[in-house]
Amino acid sequence: MSHPNEIQLALFAGGDLGLWDRWQVGRHVSRCSGCQSEVAAFGAASEQVREAVPDLPKDLNWNRLAEEMTGNIRVGLAAGEAISRFDRPMAGVRPARLGWNAVLVIACATVVFVAAFWTSLPHEQAQHLNAALQKIFSGQTGRHAAVSQDDVMLEASSSSIQVKENGRTMMLTHPRSDGVTVSISMRGSAGVRYVDADTGQVTTNKVYYAEQ
Amino acid sequence: MRSSRARVAHAFLPVFLVSALTAGVLPKIDLPKDSPVTVVSADFGDSNEMARGGAMLLDLHAALSLRNSSARRIRGITLLVMAQEVTPGGKGSVTVTSLDVGPQETFPVRVDLRLLRPLQASGAAPVQIGLDGILFDDLSFFGPDKLSSRRTLTLSEFEARRDRKYLKTLLAEGGSTKLQQAIVESLAHQADRPAYDVQVVRGGRATNFELEKQVQFAFLKLPDSPIELTDGMARISGNEARAPRLEVKNRSERPIRYLEVGWILQDRNGREFLAGSVPAELQLGPGQKSQILENSTLKFPQRGGQPLAIEGMTGFVSSVEYADGSVWIPSSADLATPQLQRVASPSDEEQRLVQIYRKRGIQGLIAELNKF
Repeated sequence: MSHPNEIQLALFAGGDLGLWDRWQVGRHVSRCSGCQSEVAAFGAASEQVREAVPDLPKDLNWNRLAEEMTGNIRVGLAAGEAISRFDRPMAGVRPARLGWNAVLVIACATVVFVAAFWTSLPHEQAQHLNAALQKIFSGQTGRHAAVSQDDVMLEASSSSIQVKENGRTMMLTHPRSDGVTVSISMRGSAGVRYVDADTGQVTTNKVYYAEQ
Repeated sequence: MRSSRARVAHAFLPVFLVSALTAGVLPKIDLPKDSPVTVVSADFGDSNEMARGGAMLLDLHAALSLRNSSARRIRGITLLVMAQEVTPGGKGSVTVTSLDVGPQETFPVRVDLRLLRPLQASGAAPVQIGLDGILFDDLSFFGPDKLSSRRTLTLSEFEARRDRKYLKTLLAEGGSTKLQQAIVESLAHQADRPAYDVQVVRGGRATNFELEKQVQFAFLKLPDSPIELTDGMARISGNEARAPRLEVKNRSERPIRYLEVGWILQDRNGREFLAGSVPAELQLGPGQKSQILENSTLKFPQRGGQPLAIEGMTGFVSSVEYADGSVWIPSSADLATPQLQRVASPSDEEQRLVQIYRKRGIQGLIAELNKF
């Protein structure tokens, strides 16, 4: 048998164990010096309590004392619960308020940052970014763009012509001129023709995306 | 001692800064050793490079002065502009046509270029300017011809000769009044010709927000054209037109190696405009048929107002190159066809002569026509 626990030894010392348990514990204690000393200590404590009994009030109501003690314990537990409830909202609410504020501040900062970034972003890069976002969006919604905006693109207007590739741009510009003529070849070139006001020369600027 | 060194350093700092900045901007001008033109001077004016967002914006303004060091008269020149670091597949060109530059004479060429390139670009010259070709008055050509400049310059020269001849005929037949009338009509056509911004995308559709439909080409028949357009269609979607397919037949007795078909689009309101051209390099013997396919997309972006809605298309043969290098272009009578007159661009020479008329009047124009 393993060592009896303290409760069993205390009950054994006071003679309060049942027959079977008393026999088992008594058998162990007779062979175990450690448990013998424990039992002896419990016996000495009982002796001291018995000696102190005359000092106790004669009309001591043990049941009432037990009820008071139970009531005190309950009050203590309730107080502990109340304190813990008080602490919990304090810990919960304040971070929540802080959290919303933080979200608001971060949102405002993000808006300012995005606006500043977008306005300072060159037009070509903005278009590239926009195209990338559109591509992501179309992928999510199941739409299909047959041509990626990352592909090479030529643009021709009366003010300039340009070839774009992956957000990079080469643009040929020309001085302000009357009678600007735009030409497009389906093999991959765009041109602008103008008459130079200073020299009277006919100049044609072209951009190409194909090997020619 | 230390202070004098600091003063020297401060004095030279702007020089170092300027040279460091311009070193990254200046293009490399690379002409062949046996080039019939030489660079007399190159002024890069207020060219600069600055950071914009996450990129560097290079603004290049080059005013080149070139000398004709050959013994022949120059009619046209094409300079090749490369920025491989920025657009690996792309390149540009600056072509000056309708020239008449005699031996040892100088002429200007302007190159105004804007590049948007990444910040971490290498320190090498971002732009290279080279020679692609020169056409002389005897129609001989010099140059590597990477951009098919020989054909472009030759076609331009043929158009110039056609228009000069036409205007000289008017002058001879009806005097300055008839010449003036023709020039005023040309001015009116140029003013009336609708102009749109265009995007060209290699491959399929740029967007797919509208349903696509296949539209049949109508053809404008030019009586003496060596090519007959027999069938054709393209895909149309809103303001986009793509993938033209044309069937052509050589009705001449000479083999053809190149042709261009002009592509006129009509919108919902019946307005017509010249959208572009569909070129084709092919080997087409007399009487043979062939098919032309292009997979690019034309898009006409909306710039305020109602979006363009393409409804119909018309094709016409705008130029042909025979196997021997000679060319066919529409005649002055062909260009007088009302539909072509409405949409076709003036030739380089017509545009130049009209400008002379505007600046120097009818007498200035007559003097110019009498030069050659």
